[in-house]
Amino acid sequence: MPNQLLSDRDVEFLLYEVAHADKLCELPQFADHSRETFELFLTSARKLARGVLWPAYKPMDEAPPRLEAGQVLVHPVMREIWPRLAELGITCATRPYAVGGQQLPHTVGMLASGYLMAANAAAFGYAGLTAGAAHLIEAFGDERLKRDVMPRLYSGEWAGTMALTEPQAGSSLADVRTRARPAGDHYLLDGNKVFISGGDQDVTANVVHLVLARIEGAPAGIKGVSLFCVPKRRLEGSDNDCTAAGVFHKMGWKGLPSIALNFGERGDCRGWLVGQPHQGISYMFQMMNEARLMVGMNAVATASAAYHEAVEYARTRLQGRALSQRDPSSPQVPIIEHADVRRMLLRQKAIVEGGLCLLVTTARYADLGDTRSLLLLDLLTPIAKSFPAEFGFESNTLSLQVHGGYGYTSEYLPEAWLRDQKLNSLHEGTTGIHGMDLLGRKVVQQNGAALLGLSEEIAIDVAKAGGSEGAALQQAVERVGTLTMALAASGDRDKFMLHSADYLTLFSIVVIAWQWLRMTNAAAGKQGDFHDGKRQAARYWFATELPRVEHLAALCESGEASYAEMRPDWF
Amino acid sequence: MKILVTVKRVEDWESKIKVRPDQSWIITEGVNYRANPFDEIGVEEALRLRDANAPSEVVVVSIGPAAAGAEIRSGLAMGADRGILVKHDGFLDSDAVARILVKIVEKEKPDLVVMGKQAVDVDDNVCGQLLAEYLGYGQVTFASKKESLESPEEKGKKAGLKLSADKKSLQCAREVDGGLEVLEVSLPAIVTVDLRLNVPRYASLPNIMKAKKKTIEELLPAALGVDIAPKVKVVKVEPPPLRTAGIKVPDVAALVKKLHEEAKVV
Ligand SMILES: Cc1cc2nc3c(=O)[nH]c(=O)nc-3n(C[C@H](O)[C@H](O)[C@H](O)COP(=O)(O)OP(=O)(O)OC[C@H]3O[C@@H](n4cnc5c(N)ncnc54)[C@H](O)[C@@H]3O)c2cc1C
Repeated sequence: MPNQLLSDRDVEFLLYEVAHADKLCELPQFADHSRETFELFLTSARKLARGVLWPAYKPMDEAPPRLEAGQVLVHPVMREIWPRLAELGITCATRPYAVGGQQLPHTVGMLASGYLMAANAAAFGYAGLTAGAAHLIEAFGDERLKRDVMPRLYSGEWAGTMALTEPQAGSSLADVRTRARPAGDHYLLDGNKVFISGGDQDVTANVVHLVLARIEGAPAGIKGVSLFCVPKRRLEGSDNDCTAAGVFHKMGWKGLPSIALNFGERGDCRGWLVGQPHQGISYMFQMMNEARLMVGMNAVATASAAYHEAVEYARTRLQGRALSQRDPSSPQVPIIEHADVRRMLLRQKAIVEGGLCLLVTTARYADLGDTRSLLLLDLLTPIAKSFPAEFGFESNTLSLQVHGGYGYTSEYLPEAWLRDQKLNSLHEGTTGIHGMDLLGRKVVQQNGAALLGLSEEIAIDVAKAGGSEGAALQQAVERVGTLTMALAASGDRDKFMLHSADYLTLFSIVVIAWQWLRMTNAAAGKQGDFHDGKRQAARYWFATELPRVEHLAALCESGEASYAEMRPDWF
Repeated sequence: MKILVTVKRVEDWESKIKVRPDQSWIITEGVNYRANPFDEIGVEEALRLRDANAPSEVVVVSIGPAAAGAEIRSGLAMGADRGILVKHDGFLDSDAVARILVKIVEKEKPDLVVMGKQAVDVDDNVCGQLLAEYLGYGQVTFASKKESLESPEEKGKKAGLKLSADKKSLQCAREVDGGLEVLEVSLPAIVTVDLRLNVPRYASLPNIMKAKKKTIEELLPAALGVDIAPKVKVVKVEPPPLRTAGIKVPDVAALVKKLHEEAKVV
């Protein structure tokens, strides 16, 4: 059976049995939609993913972009893929009618993107970046940018990028140095960016960079950074002095160029201010939830493709015999017959499907859009981004492990997905940064209102579930509450943040246990392999992961300081 | 030009199909359904012909359960103009389908009927031929294209079926053993399509939303005056035999010997 990338049955289950996506159509903005439009769109996305993006995955992985005579050349198959991605309408599916979108709920758009990402993350990357750039202009740009640039991005005529990172400004965007000098209706930009994905290519006629830069005389730090729209070619077609200075040789995502980009080498790089001066970082932050959920979805998708590959492999690879089988002349069994192989598969299932459920949960909060839902979305975003990235990486190594020595060779795909997956713990904020964001900001802001809201949400599902799993989850949630209060009461910022990484892990384990409880609630009373599989994966998560919460919480509370007190000279 | 195109709701070949214990049919619980892939090629071709020969109309017809409305809607989302659903639950043989279609053709008077060469559920490959016979129309089966699916013609979404200048006939290439045969058929006619005619488009989200406003007319076989009592009886359904393990041969000579003596293919 060909790799299904994302399970159609699971997608259907999450949409209609867990999240009740059809109910979203009762909201006025989704009134034109119905289960029928959702299904038609998902069908198109599946076909495009399986029929077009997936066959191009390995060729693109094997022939990364090159820089020749100042132009980045990408794999030629991208020129066939791009128009089809644009035609599908994925870049503006969830946007309002007024800007040419179709007001599709994020809950559905997220899953449609998931198929495309699982098939070929790099190819989908071009569309994701373009959507992000267009959305920034939609939200903050002036009428001119909205008229001349935004529609060309949403339609796929041009592609977009996010140009934030500089050599000295990676995690610390406050240190951005690229300068912008006022020059009439525009600014002249001057500076160097690195790692700019999609920063140049030979697929679309133009590339539009959304650039963070400092207007001359701007205050230092975050409050002096502005956002600019800087096209590779100006509207009338002339060159705008953006130079591709080099392509990075990456371990994964090889189909998408990430480049070093110089603005204003000839002193003639024009940029147009997006929104107000000095608001660049705050604009970016307002878009970040969306971008981070996309990274989370990508991580789930990458783990999902590898998981399905591993299940199929384990069903067909014959090796060894049952422990009780002493007869060496008896036939060998498929490795899925070995409990330890099923351990590896079940762990992947728990991570992949738990992660996918969390993405659906968060996307639904974005769709509901009321104050409480947005508060929960904000709280859960660092988890929805970093859980799939970190646990997903482990899941990808398990897929490779199931393939044995063959998994270590490039004749098989797990090693490629493992390489791809690593990026998700780095871009859009490293895992370390998200750990600090969760503990240092998300759980404590507004006197812990978000955390309280989350406990209430979980309590509803616990009440529905009853039973020992519900009780265990309730206890874990309370533990998170007491831990957070204890940490916040300590008063010392360094001590408070000391175990932010462990806090992120334990918080993630609890949130994923909640997803599994939601799924078993939805599966209650339903028979058959699919629902039995759900119950079993939930059982696994509650038995093997949830108990870790207590250990990690104790560690956080103890103020254990081995690495904090480790001196740089001792390494 | 008016083009009628048929779309059948069939089991998705990616679903795990199991036979009922009493061998009377397959187990339908948990099976996914989709449009017959040959029919999607038919819809695509009809849309290309329509767009190259405005003003034209494409009408999608399906005969099947109420759920087959989803397959019509998917044709409308690809771009067809309106739909007709002839509702019937349960087994229909190809002859009954052809006789229902006769009534639809008499009602709609299309210049052309485009059908898949067969439906992938039962693989009968007779419906188009029966319909042409009952109507006394010309027919071209297994329509294909001279150019490959990687050709600029295909990338430019050019129709493989070519309407004559006076719009009274259609030129079609069809697949035959060892190559293609090009025929000219006068209209109205029936064309059944093969796999290498085109690559069907995906329904884009904007077109999916437009399709919501398109109408689907619902009819019943009895109201059309068609007796649908089956003439074909399903005696028994069996899964295909399991593939047996392969063997290894030491060298090419041994392979040739086996192919010659046992498989008798060389
Ligand atoms: C393939 C790829 C594509 C990318 N695409 C884009 C793009 O399109 N546009 C764009 O603008 N950028 C892009 N990036 C850049 C990416 O966002 C940065 O790499 C990321 O933000 C981290 O910055 P850095 O690499 O400078 O690492 P650093 O910031 O140097 O981080 C190194 C390590 O130190 C830790 N660290 C840093 N600061 C702190 C702190 N204050 N406290 C504790 N720990 C800290 C980090 O967690 C990390 O583990 C891309 C990167 C890659 C690899």
